[in-house]
Amino acid sequence: MIQLLELAAVQRAAFALLLGAVALPIVGVVIIGLDIMPVRFAMMHIALLGIAIGLLTGLDPLLCAVVACGLSGAGLAPLARSPSGLSGAMGLLMSLAIAAALLVLSISGVNASAAFELLWGSILATRTGDVVLLGVLAVAVPALFLWRRKQLALLLHDRELAACSGVPVNRLTLVLLVLVAVAIAGAIRLTGALLVDALTLLPALAARRLAQSLTGMALWAVGIGVVVNLAGFVLALLLDQPPGPVLVLLAGAVALAAHFLPERRNTAWQSASSH
Amino acid sequence: MLVKTTGLPVRLAGVSCAHGGRTVVRAVSLDVPAGHRVALTGTNGSGKTTLLRAVLGLHRACDGVVEVGARQARTAADWTRRRREIAWIPQRQAAGRFPLLVDELLASSGAVDRAREAARELGVGDLGRQPVHTLSGGQLQRAYLARAIGCVEAGAGVLLADEPTAALDFAGQTAVAELLTSLPVTVVVVTHDRAVAARCERVLEMAAGSLREIT
Repeated sequence: MIQLLELAAVQRAAFALLLGAVALPIVGVVIIGLDIMPVRFAMMHIALLGIAIGLLTGLDPLLCAVVACGLSGAGLAPLARSPSGLSGAMGLLMSLAIAAALLVLSISGVNASAAFELLWGSILATRTGDVVLLGVLAVAVPALFLWRRKQLALLLHDRELAACSGVPVNRLTLVLLVLVAVAIAGAIRLTGALLVDALTLLPALAARRLAQSLTGMALWAVGIGVVVNLAGFVLALLLDQPPGPVLVLLAGAVALAAHFLPERRNTAWQSASSH
Repeated sequence: MLVKTTGLPVRLAGVSCAHGGRTVVRAVSLDVPAGHRVALTGTNGSGKTTLLRAVLGLHRACDGVVEVGARQARTAADWTRRRREIAWIPQRQAAGRFPLLVDELLASSGAVDRAREAARELGVGDLGRQPVHTLSGGQLQRAYLARAIGCVEAGAGVLLADEPTAALDFAGQTAVAELLTSLPVTVVVVTHDRAVAARCERVLEMAAGSLREIT
């Protein structure tokens, strides 16, 4: 165990997880708030398209994935005006992206499994570039949240009320969607596409149950994220199992536990934590 | 606080709105001079709510001219200004998909101190730290009313209220009707409540998307 912790790859992985735990749960709160749970599947497929384009053009595949996700997030923003616009568009985007990705892979003559491999990210394979991206997110996401939390609370509560309270709803939605898309693309490297939930959604789902306000939710989500990520990582090392699944199971257990807590106790916790 | 401003004039000319291909507001024209109070009544589904939402630019499928303070809204900046000029009490005060504290709701008026004072006057002053989805219908309506009073303090010249007393008890209806109609602004209120209508200079009835004068 101690020896493992001395390995550079392990240290870098732990650091990346810590950075991710600061930024990604807040992104999860935004995903729940915008009601765009399918976004992670859509972004996974778009990331694959980006990787395919990268392999075709010789550019860095993961950079292409991040850019493709960011652009599609921005492209989705106008659809947020109608309540069901976003979720519907995600499904369409998902199908189009996977079709385009397979076509590009076929054109470039790359074995598709090579591209898919990049999607099954592994924490221990984290590179410096990933850590930098997560570091930027770990600063940018909480900063944006603190700076605009009043407007965010209104927007996520009710878009029309926000519009009538002077919140620039279209611009703010655009920024949020780009941020969500880029954050998911970044997180894919950490746990792999299928396990992104552990870092984003599960802490946010648990926090939604525990907190009564947006700020409370963000604090709970980050707190749960940090604890789960570090504990899960250590547990995975101890058990000598892949960290991704262990993290997801641990985060899932916490989310489940939060849902089984009696309501009354939540309220008491909340009033204790908000003073 | 009376006679601080006389509000802004509201003028609608030939306003028609569609809802999913169906015309719900037909060529409505209405002139409300600054400071006047107008009550809109009519059966459910007659287009009253859509008409108010059209003034705020929340219902985009609309034709015709809508002027507030003798200005039409065309650009995004115009709409931002329009929404600042109007204090809005929506019909369905969204319980929301996401938690919002009553204090945050009051702060969104732009004049948080006045809105809190109004909340105290309306008997919901001690609910500031509660999320709005835990409030009763009547408490929520009062909180939105306090927010609207804050908006007026912050410079809104028009109050658009959509059934603002529907969730209140009888005593509450009278008190709120008094409070609403004493604000120094132009008031257009959708209501089925006689206490509110009686305090307005004009009462109009909307039927199948058209408007006609009752008093």
